[in-house]
Formats: sequence, C-alpha cells, structure tokens
Amino acid sequence: MTSSNCGVTTLRLDSQTERASVHLLPCEIEYDGAAEVSQFFTATIKDRKHEKTVSFRGRGLKGQEVICPQGYSGLVLREVNKPGSDQEDRNVKVSSVFQKFTYWNLETLPNSDDGIVMAMAWPDLADAVSVLHFLQ
Amino acid sequence: MDLSEFEADNSVSCRLASAIPDVCKTQDCCLGIDEAGRGPVLGPMVYGICFCPVSKKEDLKNLKLADSKTLTEEQREDLFLKLDEAKSFVGWALQILSPNTISTSMLQRSKYNLNALSHDAAIGLVQFVLDSGVQLKELFVDTVGPAAKYQEKLSQRFPGVEVTVCPKADSLFPIVSAASICAKVARDHAVKSWTFPEDMGELDTNYGSGYPNDPKTKAWLLKYLDPVFGYPQFVRFSWSTAQTLLDSKAVPVHWDDDEEDGEKAAARQNNTSMLSYFKASAQQSDSRTPHRFFTERRLQSLHTL
Repeated sequence: MTSSNCGVTTLRLDSQTERASVHLLPCEIEYDGAAEVSQFFTATIKDRKHEKTVSFRGRGLKGQEVICPQGYSGLVLREVNKPGSDQEDRNVKVSSVFQKFTYWNLETLPNSDDGIVMAMAWPDLADAVSVLHFLQ
Repeated sequence: MDLSEFEADNSVSCRLASAIPDVCKTQDCCLGIDEAGRGPVLGPMVYGICFCPVSKKEDLKNLKLADSKTLTEEQREDLFLKLDEAKSFVGWALQILSPNTISTSMLQRSKYNLNALSHDAAIGLVQFVLDSGVQLKELFVDTVGPAAKYQEKLSQRFPGVEVTVCPKADSLFPIVSAASICAKVARDHAVKSWTFPEDMGELDTNYGSGYPNDPKTKAWLLKYLDPVFGYPQFVRFSWSTAQTLLDSKAVPVHWDDDEEDGEKAAARQNNTSMLSYFKASAQQSDSRTPHRFFTERRLQSLHTL
C-alpha cells in the first residue's frame, strides 16, 4: 500500500446487475455520464463480412469484439457518494457487468498488435508464471 | 427515380445506372458530367453523367433541357421522365456520395479532400461507362474549380477522348444539362426521403435548403445537436458550420492524431512538459518502473481506487 487514504473499498454486487454492451473508442471524450449510445451509435453500426464499421463525430471506426479472459468479468463501476474528505472510504457500486466488449480503432481494423488485445493475454500468462514460480 | 439501393444503406456511397442503350455501344458518343449538392452541410452529394450518340445531339436539344439550377423541382422531374423516355439513345449513371462518406473521407487521418473525392467520383463513372462498352469520344464537364488542371487530368486518364472542362457547362451543353438534372433529381429525392438510422423520434424535417447560410438549416443544426455524438449521419461533420457548432456546444473529443500543441495538450496526453523540469520535484516514488510488457499493454497494478 502506498497511500493511507482509500485503503478500504466497498464493492457492491447486486444479483440483478445489468449486462451492458460496452464500446471502447479510440478517442478521449471529455464527459462522464449518460449518453444516447443506442440511438446514435449502436443503431448505425454496420456488420458486414465480420468487419464492423461505424462513425463517431464524422470519423470512421473499425471494430472487433474482444472477449474477457476466461474466469474474468468486466465491471462498470459507479461511485455512490463522493467522499467528503480523503479520510473517508470510497463507495462504488457495480452498475453493470460484461463478458465482452467492442474495441474500435480509427480507420484501421483492430489487430493483435493493439495493446488492449495483447493485454487480454496477461491473466493466462500470470497463471503460467505463478505455477512456474511455485514449482521452483 | 428509384433510390432503394442507396436507401438500403445510406451510410455508404452507391452507384445507380440506367440500362446502357445498344446504340451507344456502336456509335461515337458524347458524355456530360455534373454534380448536385456540393455546398450543403446536409445530405449526400450526387455525381451524375448522361451520354448519347454524337449524332443524337439535336434530338437531345429538342428535349429543351436547361441547367438544373434554373428549373423548378417539378420541371426537373418532368425532364428526367423525358430522358427516361429517350432511353433508346440516352443513358445515365449516378454516384451518390453519402454524407457519412464525405465526413469520414474529409476527416480521414490522411486527408482526402472534397475536390479529390469529386474527381474520383467523376472518373469512376466515366470508367464504368467505358467498361460497359460505350464508344466514348467527347466528354463535357462542369466545374467550379480550376478548369485547365482538371481537363489535363481527365485527358491523361482517358486518352482518345476529347475533354472539355469549363464553368457553366451545364447551361452550354445539353448533355451536361441532362447530367445535372439526373444528379439534382437524385439529390432532392435522397434528402426528401432520408431515413435516419438513428431513432430521431418525431423529427422536424424543416431543414431548409441544407446550405450553411440558410437560417432554417442553422436552426435545425442547433436543435438536433447531441452533446456527445454531435449529429446524425445526415450531417456532414467535415463542414465548418458543423464543426464550429460542435466546438462551442458539444463536449470536447480528442483523437491521437489531433493537431494540438501547448502544455495543456501535453498534460492531457500524459507527456512531460519542458516546464515540469523547472518545477520543484515532487516526492520521488520508490516504485520500480514496470516492465515494458506492462507499459505496452497499459497494464498497471492498482492498490486503491
């Protein structure tokens, strides 16, 4: 532990948690909050010959579905109340769970050299490394 | 005019064509090119070509064609029907460039400007006609850009074809008037019957002419601006009118190829600004630098939220 604040974290997982369709875009949107995703984005996705295309703010994107590593789930967290001071614990609620998400690249098709695709291999590798470590 | 092929997917570019008259495959032909909807911030841009045997130029003149801009919508519809009736010797083809194609091309990483897009559409249509067996000898093109350069480009691309590029060709040559009527009719139909893939609910279709200086168009653009997504694909995002509105009314979006500089951009991109070297050094963390394996994958160890 490097810092003393926020040492305790509460994670609430309701059984009724919604499954969300998650999209990872190759840009930074200076906004946090609700957005008309299904109206503007999901409705305009074209899926031909295993190639997903869409546009965002007039820029062409190409996408691919990425599946979470086996045994792992993706979580979308929402902070219930912002802590008043850094002495208080942060409290976040799981607002949705996902097993896969769509990863979008600007104009080029996502490929195995993309960081996010490569990152998905880490849990398997981590397992292998710890088994090796244990055997030694 | 049947646009159902385009309407099936109005996010991409689409080619529509009449049947090729048999006489055009055996006799020397002339061909006219014109465009419709270059200026508007809304809807597609349409490239149209019309062709007929050189020997039938007089018959074409008798149809009393004129530049589509000087005609009413009704007159254009009538003339398009007349062209259709003359299908034994007149053929046409259209390239409909969807607003989404225009936006994504112009805003591409390696910029593809409107002139290049237009020239490629025109060249594509002429090539299509040649591939269909039309004996093309004369080419007439209306242009807004520099005529001489374009004429040279087309002459080189189509050797053996006599190319005439000039402003106002749509009122000088009936075959270009015919092309302009086809293009304009298609553009009007496409705008009028635009199906929004976005669920727009009770949509106000009072968007005026679509030209940026039309107050109705401006009002529509203000009314339908979404703070995150900006606009439906019906709008050309690459137009300065749209961009100015997005810059002032929508949330900022940053791409990795944005041309921005300054300390703020550097800070946002997590780069170290030169100035930071002059600041009192922050407490040195004792953590080791993670291995390249992790930084390349943007993986970080988290201890706290």
